[in-house]
Amino acid sequence: MSSPLERIAWHWRHNAKLELWIAWWAMVVFYQLYGLLFFVVTRVQPPPPAWWDAPTVVQWFNDNHYGLLVGFGICFLITGMLGAVNALLAYSMRRMSVSPAFAYSYLLIYSLSAVPGMLLTCVALVVGAMRPDRNPELIRWLYDFAFMAFDGTMGVFLIGSLIWMVAILLDKNRVFPKWFAYLNLCNALTEVVVAPAWIFKRGVFAWDGAITWWLDMVVFVIYTAVFITLIRKMILREDFGTSALPDLVEPEAAAAPPGLVRAER
Amino acid sequence: MRKTDGELILLWTLPALGLIWISAFLLFPGFTHPMSPTMSAEAVAAFYRDPENLARIRYSMILFNWFGVGLIPILVLIVLQIRRMAHRTPIFSYAVLGCASGGPTLFLVANLFWLLAAFRPERDPQLTQLFNDLAWVTFTSQVGFLIGQSVLLALAIYLDRQPRPVFKTWVAHFNLGVAAALAPASFTALSLAGVMAWDGLLSFWIRNAAIALWIAVMGVVLGQTILRQRREEGAVAV
Repeated sequence: MSSPLERIAWHWRHNAKLELWIAWWAMVVFYQLYGLLFFVVTRVQPPPPAWWDAPTVVQWFNDNHYGLLVGFGICFLITGMLGAVNALLAYSMRRMSVSPAFAYSYLLIYSLSAVPGMLLTCVALVVGAMRPDRNPELIRWLYDFAFMAFDGTMGVFLIGSLIWMVAILLDKNRVFPKWFAYLNLCNALTEVVVAPAWIFKRGVFAWDGAITWWLDMVVFVIYTAVFITLIRKMILREDFGTSALPDLVEPEAAAAPPGLVRAER
Repeated sequence: MRKTDGELILLWTLPALGLIWISAFLLFPGFTHPMSPTMSAEAVAAFYRDPENLARIRYSMILFNWFGVGLIPILVLIVLQIRRMAHRTPIFSYAVLGCASGGPTLFLVANLFWLLAAFRPERDPQLTQLFNDLAWVTFTSQVGFLIGQSVLLALAIYLDRQPRPVFKTWVAHFNLGVAAALAPASFTALSLAGVMAWDGLLSFWIRNAAIALWIAVMGVVLGQTILRQRREEGAVAV
């Protein structure tokens, strides 16, 4: 049990929580890649301004030509990981004392959110990048389509976060600390704050503005980092029962519990 | 005897659905000789303005619009089989359920762009080309949910650790193979000609053949599994 490969092989054979860990690692890898692709490879985050004229927008597409085409290609390739991510988030609600309606609603809402909130954005930018000789006004239309689909798809994240919040507040199984419910409220409120991006092209409320983008991104990053950590704790505490989740005993012991080696039989 | 639960009716929609999809595929003039991304805006506009093409584009895309989502009941039957596997959590059935609506939704978006291009073919050729690009890029590059459901199904099968697993291990290997065959299409916009282009070997022929093969093979495997399940549960009941 020394090399990482042997450890993975051991977990593949014996870890009773493998299904949960696969989904958790999919979540970690997806969000790392998402950050890398959107911030570094394609350079669409932080977003370029909404007030640019058509020639400047065309120049931006030309400067990022391969970044957009390769970066979003990778993005399309890994989209399916969201299935595992949303399944795990829904499972956290399934483990609560609340009705399964919460888990299923969240699963449906977040599964559909990827289409307008991420994929249509990427398709519009890919189509914009693929023909640099297209009419500049049409390229700017694609630019608006992309950034407004990305920022302006609000309701799915608003309602999804509120569903998670209510589930956590009602839960008697202690799956998450109650303060995390209020962080969900913060995330939901960012979707309210972003609405003026549909109206303003300059200033703090434009899609690249200090409030609409920067404030919301800070909340989103904190929120994501927190739920990835809390879900890891949930998996460590998981006992596959239906009553309250037990407290975390020893992180080291729980990581590779010898008692679970035969537990799956 | 078990009660009529309708699963067999849903299963037998698949051959009919297959026939309709193949007919619509052959009817759409843009598929039989896949349209090249190198066509000029004027050539694309002429393609939609050709009266013979125009009728076939509209009728084939209306057929796809009607029956594109017909695959969802089949995907849900697969989800129900995942729920019978020896897992500790519903993670895999939730995850495949989450992917199941994604593929057909994105196909519908591409379908709408094609129909819009054909709605007013007299429009400025630049606009017709824009709709045509959006349709082809959405259709070709959006393989993510299909890859996701194949990989997740494969993992679910590998972790179905019981003496008589729901699906045999080769079904998992097959799904990983299909996922690999679909992968290059994600990058179709990188080139307007050659194997990567949306009319090329990898992005059109291999991608679409892989989807057709997946539907055919999984249809047979699913049918056998559901019939075996019925025999076993019937035997227990009697």
